[in-house]
Amino acid sequence: MSDTAVIELRNVSLSYEHRPVLKNVNFKLNNGEFCYLIGPTGIGKSSFLKLLYRDVVPDEGSVRVTDFPVNKISMKQVPILRRRMGIVFQDFQLLQDRDVYDNVAFALQVTGEKPKFIKQRVLEVLGMVGLSHRRKNMPSDLSGGEQQRVVIARALANEPRILLADEPTGNLDPKATQDIMNILKLINNRGTAVLLVTHDYAVVKKYPYRTVRLIDGKVQDLAWKGDKLVPLKKEPV
Amino acid sequence: MSFKYIIKEGFAGIRRAKLAATTSIFSLFIAILLLGILSRVGYNVYVQAMSIKDLIEVEVFLFDIDERTTDEIERQLRAEEIVLEATYISKDSASAIMRQEFGPGVEELVDLNFLPASFKLKVDTEAGASQIETLVSSIQNLRGVDEVQYNEGLLRIMESNLNTFSLVGGGIALLILLASVILVYNTIRLTIYAKRELIRAMKLVGATNSFIRSPFIIEGVLQGVLSGLMAVTCVFFIFEFVIPLYLPEMGLLSWPFGSWYFLTGAMFGLAVLMGWWGSRLAARKFIEETYISG
Repeated sequence: MSDTAVIELRNVSLSYEHRPVLKNVNFKLNNGEFCYLIGPTGIGKSSFLKLLYRDVVPDEGSVRVTDFPVNKISMKQVPILRRRMGIVFQDFQLLQDRDVYDNVAFALQVTGEKPKFIKQRVLEVLGMVGLSHRRKNMPSDLSGGEQQRVVIARALANEPRILLADEPTGNLDPKATQDIMNILKLINNRGTAVLLVTHDYAVVKKYPYRTVRLIDGKVQDLAWKGDKLVPLKKEPV
Repeated sequence: MSFKYIIKEGFAGIRRAKLAATTSIFSLFIAILLLGILSRVGYNVYVQAMSIKDLIEVEVFLFDIDERTTDEIERQLRAEEIVLEATYISKDSASAIMRQEFGPGVEELVDLNFLPASFKLKVDTEAGASQIETLVSSIQNLRGVDEVQYNEGLLRIMESNLNTFSLVGGGIALLILLASVILVYNTIRLTIYAKRELIRAMKLVGATNSFIRSPFIIEGVLQGVLSGLMAVTCVFFIFEFVIPLYLPEMGLLSWPFGSWYFLTGAMFGLAVLMGWWGSRLAARKFIEETYISG
């Protein structure tokens, strides 16, 4: 793995019940980089993320996330790997029986942090997503956008080097989408690498960053040409 | 790992899934109660069987032999592992016993001189019929021994009944235990299913499987503690108050090993063990099968 890469996939193939999803994929995300992963629904974008947080293992090839050879680590090391990354889904996955503070604190409690540190860190990350004033509210009292901000705050609690976001704006209105994107930009500016899975081209256009597309089981780098995203021509090696 | 968090979640688990937890606690309580009653009755059957067995004596009748041979036989009898006591009854003592049993006129009917000298053996009550049979055959081969007698029929019937009772009782106890473990297992499985979102979220933020499991195991143990306390109270109440009042003839049943706390302690321990085991089995299986991505 190169010095600057936080994610690296080499010749990765993945299939579900003999149906190929990824074919010989190579991909690299550098430290502090922001990257979109786009592609139509069902193409395998979520599977790509699952490989990173080790919910699935590839049939072939190697997956590295920070220092972890993901496909080789033991089950005991998987939680340690997951603490190095923040994960955000479209469905918020907040615990409905706890308030905002407890939902974020929970991420630190399960990793055995001390109560004093937990309090300090929770207030810090809630401040980052602009929800300090809502810490005593239950998730059901919040709007979709606010709930997603709580999820982001929880994902940031362990100070991850990478944030994986799977359609984080998928269920949100344009205003909430803009809020979430601004928060993700802020997080990225602070040095966290962000890999954002989306099929919302408006977002990709409005906040231009490196964009890759998953097509026919392969990853393809894209660039804007006028109003269109076109495959980036590879320079001859 | 936050111990406080695990304990808090364990208690909260029971509170959040009241119906499932109540069903599980009640089922485990019934199972442990039945086992407690079965154990107490079984123990008393065993004690009765042993006291009957204690009455069984092996009598070794001797030919007219000299003192040296008699001593040698006594030595060999005492050397047998299952022989606890060997009492020598001389010809004169045998006559005296007969005189005592049949009254003073017996000498007019028979010549008491026909009674042989003998040894009366007290055999270990734990010894089985086959062991006693082996002992009898070996004694019969001793030089100077005429005949060996014991109540073989009674011993065989008692042993067979005791074996049947143990097998049936043990089988029922095992079935009850199995049913109780399955109930706890199912309750915890349902609890885990109901909390799959929580488990997914925990996995998402990097909680270890053992950390995720712990509150469920605490919950199972708590169910065991509550069931055990209820069953112990019930058994104590039944045997100390209800039976003496309504079935005084059964009031003779004693607590195993002489004190109430052996049985109640075992019942409580078993309830906790079943709670722990059932929840551990379910937690191990179903938490590992829960994936972040659903």
